[in-house]
Order: sequence, then structure tokens, then C-alpha cells
Amino acid sequence: MSTVVQYILSGLAIGGIYALVALGFHIMWSSAKAVNFAHGDTLMIGGLLAVYFLAAGLPLALACLLAILVGGLFGVVLERIAVRPFLGQHGSVGWMLTTIAIGIMVESVATIQTQGYALPLPSPGIASSIQILGAGVYPQELAIPVVALIAMFGLRLLQHHTLIGRAMRAVAHNGAAASLMGINVFRVVAFSFALAGLLGAAAGVLVAPVVQASSTMGVLPGLKGFAVAIIGGITSAPGVVVAGLAYGVMEKFVEGYISSAAREIVGFSVMILTLLVFPQGLFGKREVMKV
Amino acid sequence: MRHLTTIGFLALAVILVAVPLASNNEYELRLFMLFLIYGIIAVGLNVLVGLTGLVSLGQAGLFALGSYTGAILATRLGFDMVSSALVAAIVAGFFGVLLAYPTVRVRGVYLAVVTIAFGLIVENVAIEWQSMTGGTTGITSIPSPNVFGFRLSGYAYYGLLAVVLFLAAAAAHNLKISRFGRAMLAVSQSETAARALGVDATGVRTLAFVAAAVTAGLAGTFYAFLNSYISPDIFTFSDSVRFLLMVILGGAASTFGPILGAYILTYLPEYLQQFAVWQKFAYGALLLIVMFVMPRGIMGSLAFGLKKLRPAPRAVSATEGILAEDTLRRDPNALRSELVARDLTVRFGGLTALNKASLRVKPGEVHALIGPNGAGKSTFVNTISGFYRPTEGEFEIDGVQLAGRKSHEIARLGLSRTFQNTELFGELTVLENVMVGYQQGLGYGLAAALLRTPAMRRQEEECRRAAIGLLAFVDLQDYANEEARFLPFGLQRRLEIARALAARPRLLLLDEPAAGLTTQEIDALEEMIRRIAALGVSVLLIEHHVELIMAVADTVTVLDYGQIIASDTPAVVQDDPRVIEAYFGTSLEHADAAEATP
Amino acid sequence: MLPETSLRGTLLAATVALGLSATGAFAQQEPCIGNSVAVTGPAAFSGQAIKLGAEIAIDEINAAGGVLGKKLKLIQYDDAGAPPRGVDNTRRIALADKCIAVLGGFHSTVALAQVDPIHEIGIPYMGVWAANTKAIENGRDPNFMFRISAKDKWVARFLVDEALKVSKSGKIAFFYENTGWGNGALPDIKAALAAKGKELAAAETFNWNDQDMTPQVIRARDSGADVAIVWSLDREANQILRSMDKSSWKPTIIGAWGISGNLGELAGPLANGVRVMQTYSFQTEQSATGKKVLAAIEAKTGIKDPKDIKAASGIADAYDAVYLLADAIKIAGAYDWKKVQAALYEVSRDGLVAPYKPAFDKKDPERQDALLPQYYLLTVWHDGKLIPFKGSPYDK
Repeated sequence: MSTVVQYILSGLAIGGIYALVALGFHIMWSSAKAVNFAHGDTLMIGGLLAVYFLAAGLPLALACLLAILVGGLFGVVLERIAVRPFLGQHGSVGWMLTTIAIGIMVESVATIQTQGYALPLPSPGIASSIQILGAGVYPQELAIPVVALIAMFGLRLLQHHTLIGRAMRAVAHNGAAASLMGINVFRVVAFSFALAGLLGAAAGVLVAPVVQASSTMGVLPGLKGFAVAIIGGITSAPGVVVAGLAYGVMEKFVEGYISSAAREIVGFSVMILTLLVFPQGLFGKREVMKV
Repeated sequence: MRHLTTIGFLALAVILVAVPLASNNEYELRLFMLFLIYGIIAVGLNVLVGLTGLVSLGQAGLFALGSYTGAILATRLGFDMVSSALVAAIVAGFFGVLLAYPTVRVRGVYLAVVTIAFGLIVENVAIEWQSMTGGTTGITSIPSPNVFGFRLSGYAYYGLLAVVLFLAAAAAHNLKISRFGRAMLAVSQSETAARALGVDATGVRTLAFVAAAVTAGLAGTFYAFLNSYISPDIFTFSDSVRFLLMVILGGAASTFGPILGAYILTYLPEYLQQFAVWQKFAYGALLLIVMFVMPRGIMGSLAFGLKKLRPAPRAVSATEGILAEDTLRRDPNALRSELVARDLTVRFGGLTALNKASLRVKPGEVHALIGPNGAGKSTFVNTISGFYRPTEGEFEIDGVQLAGRKSHEIARLGLSRTFQNTELFGELTVLENVMVGYQQGLGYGLAAALLRTPAMRRQEEECRRAAIGLLAFVDLQDYANEEARFLPFGLQRRLEIARALAARPRLLLLDEPAAGLTTQEIDALEEMIRRIAALGVSVLLIEHHVELIMAVADTVTVLDYGQIIASDTPAVVQDDPRVIEAYFGTSLEHADAAEATP
Repeated sequence: MLPETSLRGTLLAATVALGLSATGAFAQQEPCIGNSVAVTGPAAFSGQAIKLGAEIAIDEINAAGGVLGKKLKLIQYDDAGAPPRGVDNTRRIALADKCIAVLGGFHSTVALAQVDPIHEIGIPYMGVWAANTKAIENGRDPNFMFRISAKDKWVARFLVDEALKVSKSGKIAFFYENTGWGNGALPDIKAALAAKGKELAAAETFNWNDQDMTPQVIRARDSGADVAIVWSLDREANQILRSMDKSSWKPTIIGAWGISGNLGELAGPLANGVRVMQTYSFQTEQSATGKKVLAAIEAKTGIKDPKDIKAASGIADAYDAVYLLADAIKIAGAYDWKKVQAALYEVSRDGLVAPYKPAFDKKDPERQDALLPQYYLLTVWHDGKLIPFKGSPYDK
């Protein structure tokens, strides 16, 4: 029993990260029908910068906040230079490769800075573990899925109660029509990428105390976050968050009851099978083909 | 262009022969051999990415499958290199088919993610299936290259690789200029139009995946034998990115681009070594620069520049062509075609777009289907051309049941169509667009295409001449070598008609062909429809333009709110009170609202 | 120090004179050593360390006149941790740059991949980090692969001895990373235990960058083990420690040298008492050579405090490796692969890390490794620092 609880709690912690990353993919996709393939690197930017800002003498909270803001800025800059020039093009190879290129560059700089070492980010959330039904967990880990859920509801509030949020929904629904209605689509897209960047960096700051900040910390969460977004249905915010949490829990059970080795194989196979049965993801909208 | 390609292949052959003579040491030769192997992968991947427009970020997975299959056969069962490579190609090809299956349901980014997942699965299976793959330590001591028990020397192996790359490049080039290549390009640019012309899009994509998989499988085995060592780190996601980049950098869809891209990306890491810790950064920066400066890739940009410097003649001489009348005229004694639809009902959720609509297009007639906006005309057209499934009812052409068939099957049975919003293959030339339409008239197989057999060339020449004739029929011969997307709108409409005719339909379905045309153009259209009907092709015309309908239609059927309210000669229908009610009885506001949803 | 240098100078002059006569016939190689290590990628620190150690040695050797009258060069390549890059670099070093020897890097998979090309070409290889047993004990004769570093087989015995000393239940759990290094160590650990009539209670694996090890830790805990041998890097070891903390399991932890980098910094107090085998530490009392190297490190990198030197073993092993190669070249009297390979068996020297007397033994296939287990060092993490185990608060 305590083992099952342990897997669920650990899974939710990891899954919360996937959910936050996937939420970022959802936001970008909705506005631009394009994503940042290097989105995982915003995690690394958040985590590493928090460590460096802290080392530079800033108080922890300020260091984290600043790191998250830089993550948002990264989103904006990346959208402007790597995504926007390729949006009008037939096919998606353009922005896929440019964002991958920027990811390579950012990761390379981070590797040079850290020499490949992982760096610790102190947090009161990992001072000691707490026991729940015989399973141990750090408060920091519990916070991650909670933050993911808050982000999801926050996004909903934003989209329904603010001007920019409504503009985001309009652009997501039909970019051309939104543009005719006087909405500055580019501004909405930039805002979306900033928001995704903020969420990604926040995920990085949240998870860094548990997993340490390193130049490669974002690679797998980035890939899996995207897989999760596709499974959940990239057009649905609640869909990707639920899928993220479920994916994390599933991973832990695979590790626990099959083997840690089977994790990736099972996870990605589940993703392909899901897509075959639900081409738009579990909770995604189906678009009717117009001829 | 044709001469340039020949020169290109000659140059490639010269380089392949010269390099081993010029290389200073074994290291240089081996590096070049590595390039040959990557070149084979890139040439195959180009069929998938360049021609068919499908992005694969899992090519390293197929490469790994080939590598491991070959290495395991060689080390465990003592297979020689040729048989190992063949089995590896088959195994990889099988997985290529599996990978193509998701394309039935998902495209674009979704497909990219499926391929990424595939690559990661293969990599992880290679790590975990220790008893078979040696896990993270991989497989060592793969025997040196051997054929039928004879050990190949370094130069002999080089020769083998060079020949395989040359043949692969030639085969890919032949594929590109065959009906298969045109079908791939067509599917990538407008799947809808391709299907409406009888192209089996799923089949085409499967073929492309198999081509990319088989070459990657072959290359994988060659790699295993060259390196005598393989391990999972050789087949990572970043390798998949590199393979894709080879194609994009060199020039997607070009013949020599992928080879050039493979060359650059094989040697680049060697040169980047001098940047020490900054080399990955430099690699990323270079990739970024390429995407900005040369989004078409090197060969693509060169070809573009060449075209600007020395534009090919835009026109072809109509005398080269076969008269359209000869292409289209059917045996006068044969039955002219009849389309019958019975009680067709189509519902979208709660909305009934078509309600028990029955219609009969008599053999050889021009039949007009009219109705106010939102009446269900488009739904009707899309249903009988196989894009929508009818909820109830059935339809047939000359007694052949069509309900439930796929659009490309319906097209092959003789129903050809144009589109309300033109669906041309924008980056193909005007002539090539029509040649895609002629696709079903070409009977040669894949082997003939790869080898460019005399029979294949004969058929291709016939196809070209027929297409020229059809262009002359719609008076577009002066634009034959122009890319379709650069045509003015009115000419695009005519091109669509020529392309639909190239499929040699028994029934031609024209979906609002007059929309957006000038008065003169409509007059020309009217005359053209008459000429088409005179050739014995039945025409179903969906139109708003009343004058045109009155002038050409033998029968007019009126749809309103999804139901047929009248069907008779133009004169009778014109006076039908229900038709007048449908058109003028409704308020203008209603009509405007319907207009807003295209 | 002065007499030593002048003595070396005379020796050098003699060898140069001898060498010159031989050069005409045999000098197809250049006086350079090719360094194929990971300068980028997740183990970038290892490449930097090896480069640093090798450069310090080469500077010293060149200041003393070089080898056979020419200055020794270090040619630096990056393998990025990828075996094919390692293989390419090997060929480039041997065939294009025509160097005398290859220095090998961090990744065991790369070292394993290099075995074939090294022997096909016949160029001496000197490993300074990757500890995989089979890379060096590869069954070839003549064997061109040498090493100054830990060897997993010996490390396994060393750690198992320590583990059994501490364990009350006699049950040992083993955590190893799913890489060439970790997987290669599993049979070594099993063999070392079998020699003592024991079996592993649990063997758990994990991947690089895994962010939670709870399932593995729970399984190991439930096996009843009270000692965990850890074959991982700092990053993942920290995850293991945290998962142990969460699962309320406090076994004694004994690790191979992968966790001698910054585990103390990562895991904080959780790392206290974690024992680590190392080949070298700059934090102990230093010999004269050690002080000289420390000064050189400070001159090159600005690092003053020995405890800030990460990857001490990598620097020290690379330093010694270059000296052993230089000695062998001098003994061989030519820049010639085969002769240098043969001469390596005759090298005898007091190194920074250990005495190598002799460095290698042609008759014993196990002695392609210069660093013998008696020179392995047991250290322990204490308040963020790695201190010698002997005399530490944990030494009871």
C-alpha cells in the first residue's frame, strides 16, 4: 500500500513538470500553430539562472523570480527570431529546425558554464521529507502538481476575463478572422510564447531543488512534455495537464512493477497508440476537413 | 535542366573515382566512406521529406534497426555483408510500413512526434535488450566487410559504397521524374486534389516511408561493417536531426542536394573541432544561419538563382501535343456515362446538410446543380466525390456502386472534379499539374520507373504530349513551364479543368468554375463546357451564374435546405415558383449570413 | 629539484643522440599525443581535467627539452561522449596527425569502441579515466591499450571488501547507471562478491538525468540490504540519496569514483558518511610533485584551494600518463608505435598518483593497468568536502 502511494506521489511530482511543460506547448500551439522545440531548455534556463543569481548574492525569492522572467523573455526573443519568419511557410520544418538550433546553442553555453556538472538550488521545500500513508515525499515535490493545476486554472481565468486572454482565444479559434477583427495577431503570439516561457522557467525553478540544475535537465522533460501535450490533445489545456500528471504516475508504476528500463519504451509506445486511436489526442478538438 | 542533371551525375561519378586516388591516408578515405553511408540515408530520406513533404525526426531509429539487424546476423549467424544488408533492408522496410500507417490519421507536427517517439523507442530497446544488442556497451568485433566469404579490402569496400550511393541517387532521381515522384509531390502540395485525381495518398506515403527506411537499413548495415562497432549512442535524436538537416541543407526535393548536405555534415564536425567547447554552439548557429539564408537549401537556392538568370521558355508548342479530342474521345458506341444518386442524406452532428437528395445526370448531358448559399451543393459534391461519407443513401456511376468508396477510387472509376477554392499543386509547373491528372493512364510499375525502361519513357512521353494537348485545349500552352501558383486566378481555374480532364473522366464535376471570373472569361468557359460535352463527357456543373447555366445546361436541378426542389430543363425551372421563392423569397440578410461562411 | 632537471637533461641529450641515428628509418610518426576526450556534452568537465593534467606534464617535459630532441605536442579532439566520434578521432590522430599515442577519455563506451581501430592501426592507447575492465583487458596480443586509472574489476573488489566490513546482515545492494561503465561493472561486482561466497541482494539500474529513484530504492530496501554500493555520477547519486531519505532507508553507501565531484554540494547533509573510492586527492598531504602540479593548476586556472579542484583523479592520471608515454618514447628511441608499445613495458617511474615500478607487465594481461589497487584511496564526504576516510569521524 505504502509503495503504491509512493509511486503515485513521486509520479505526480514528475508528472507536474510534464504538465507545466505541456501547458506551455498548448499555449504556443493555440496561438501560432507552431511550438518551440527547445521548450525544454526554458526549464534549464530557469533552474540554472536561479542558481547563478543566488550565487551572485540575490535573495532566493528574487533570484527565482528573475530567472522566471528571463525564461519569459527567452520565449519572446525565440518567437521573434526563430518562429515568426517561418509561420507563413508550407510545412513545419522551418521553425522546427530553427528552434532546435537555438536549443543547441543555449544548451552549449550552459554546458560550457557548468562543465556538465549539476548544481544545487537550495529550497526550504527539500529540507526534510514528510510521510504520507507510509510514503515519503518532499514538500517541494507536492508543490509541483499543485502549481500545474493552479497554472491551468489561472490560464482559464486569463482567457476568459482579460482582453489579451480573449484575444488569445480568438486567435486560437481563427487567426485570420481575429486579425480582420483588429487583433494584433503577432502581439498575441509573442505574448503566448512569453507565457509559455514563464511557465517553463517556473517549472525549472520548481524542479531544480529536487533534481538539480544542469545543462541537460530540460531535454527529457521537453520531449516528454511535448509527447504528453500530443496525448492529452494539444488544443485542450485541462487535457494536457491531466495527461501530464497521468503520464508521470504511469512512469513510476512501470519503473516499479516492470523495470526502470522499460519506462521510455512503454511511455512512447502508449503515445503512438493513443494517437492512432485518437488522432487529436484524448481531449483535443477534432477539426472537420474542408474541401 | 536535363543536361545539368546528366552533368551532375557525371561529376558525381568523377568525384567518387577521384577521391580514393587523392586521399592522403586511410583516415581521410574512411571519413569519405562515412559520408557515402550518410549520403545513402539522405538520398532515401529526401524521398520522404523532399518529395512527399513528411517530416521524419526518427530516421536514426531506422538506421539503428538496419545496423543492429546487420550486426547481429553477421556476428551471431555468420552472414556475409550482402545478405546481412538485404535482411536489414527488409526489416527496416517493414518498420517503414508500420511508420507510414499513422500518416493515415496524423500529419505535420503530430507525425514528427510519432517519428521522434519511434526513434526513442528503438534507441531504448537497443539499450535494454541486452542479450541481443549488448545493451549500452553495444556490439563489438563485427567482422570486416565480406562478400560471399571474400574479404573486401578498404578500397573494394569503398568501391561498393560508392556504387551503392551512385545507384541510390540515380534511382531516387528516376523515381522523382516518374509518375510515383509526381504523385508524391502532388500529395505533399494538395492531398485533396491528388485524391480527387485518383492518387492513393496512403499508398504514396507508404512508398515514401519504405524508400526512406530501406536506404536507412542498408546504410545501417554498411555502417556497422565500416565501424566494426555499434552502440545505442550512435542512434540518438540529435542524429535524426542531423539526417533531416542533410536533406534541408542540401536542398529538399533536389537530386544532388541530399548528397551535398550529407557531405557537409560529415565533414563539418571535423572542422568544428577547432572551436573546442564552442563547437556545438557553432553547429547550432550554422543551422540557424542556413535556415535564414538558404531556406531552400544549397541546391534549391542555386536552381532558383539559375532560373532567374536563364529562365526556361515558358511556353510549349501545341504541335508537340496530342489533340485533346484524341485523348478524351471515347468509343462513340460505348455507353455514355450516367450518374445516379438516390436519397443521399448527410448529417454533421445535428445539422442535416443534405436530405434525401436524388439526382440523375443523363449520359452526355450538361447538368447544372444550383441553389442558394448553404443549400447543400458543396456537401453534395464532396459526398459524390468521396470526401464525405453519406449518412444514408447511395450513388453510382454506370451502375457501379460508389457509396463507401474512397475518393481516389471514385476518381479512378471516372469521376473527376475541380474545386470551388482552387486546389492546384502550386510548386509544380502548369504542365506537371496536368501530368498528375493523367496519372491513371500510366501503367508502368515501380521497377520500370527506377530503371527508366524504354516502355516507361514511351508512356511518359505520351503522358507529356497528352498533357500539352489538354493545355492547348484550355489555351494555356503559353504558360506550360510556369509554376502553377504564379498563374493569374482565371488561368488557375482553367488549369484545374485541364487537369481534371487529364484523368479522362466519364463525368466531370465542375464546382463553381465561374466564381471570380471576368465576363470574357465566363464566355470562354461556356464555350469550353460545350466542347467538353461534345466529346462525350457528362458534366455536372455547380454554379451560381444564371446566364451561364441557362446557356449551357441541358438539365437544371435546384437544391434548397438540403432538399431537391426542382429538376427540369432550364426554361421550366426558371419559372418554377418554388425556385423563385428559394432565391428571392428569403430575405437578403439571410443570404448575407450564408455568404459569411465560405 | 635542480639536480634532477640537469640529470634529465643529460639523459635527454643522450637519447636524442641515439634517436637521431634512428630517425631516418623509423620516424614516420610526429612527436605528438592525441587527446580524444569529451570536451562537450554531459561529461565536459572530464575533458577539461584531462587536458589540464596532460598540458601541465607536456609543459614540464618541453621545458626540459622535449622528447628525442623535439617538443611534444598535445592535439586536442572532442569525442562528445559518442563512440563514433571517438573512433573517428582515433583514426585522425593516428593516420592524419600521425601522433605517437592516443589519450583516452571519460566514457567507457568510447574506450570499448576504440579497441578495434587501435589494434587495427597498432597505435598505443593510454586510458586515463574510463574504468571499464574489458576495454583494457581485451584479450588482444599484442595489446595496445594501456591505462592509468581505476579498473572496475579491482575497484569492485575494493568496494566489496569495504562493504562486507561494514555490513551486519551481509546483504549488499548495487545501484549502477545504465551506461557502458555501469553495465560493465555489474559482472565485476558479482564476481567480487562470489569470491567471498556472497550474492547481490538487489541490483538496480537507472539512466542519466533520471529525476527520481524511489522505485529502485524501495526494491533495494525491501531486499533487506544494509549497504549500498553505488556506481554512478554525482547527479544521479544525489537522486539515490534523496529517494533513500524519502523511503526512510539509511544504508551505508560506498561508491566508485563517479561520485567524487560535487555530491557534497548537491545532497548537503545527506552526503555525510558516503564513502568514495578515488585514485587521487589534492586535499591530502602533497608530495613535491603534487605541490608542483598544484602550482601549475593555479597558474593555468586560477584555482587556489585544492578542495575547489574537481576531478582531481582525471588531472593527476593524465599528468602521469603523459610522463609514462614520454618515458616510453625515450626508451624506444623513436617516434614509432610498435617500439613505444614495447617500451611501455620497460617504463618505471615514481608518479604523482603512485609509484609505477614497473608501470606495466607484458606477461600479465591484468597488468596493462599501471595503477594498482593498493594505491586506491578510500575517502568520505563530510560537510561538503571529500576527506580521507582514515581518521574521519566515520572511521570507527
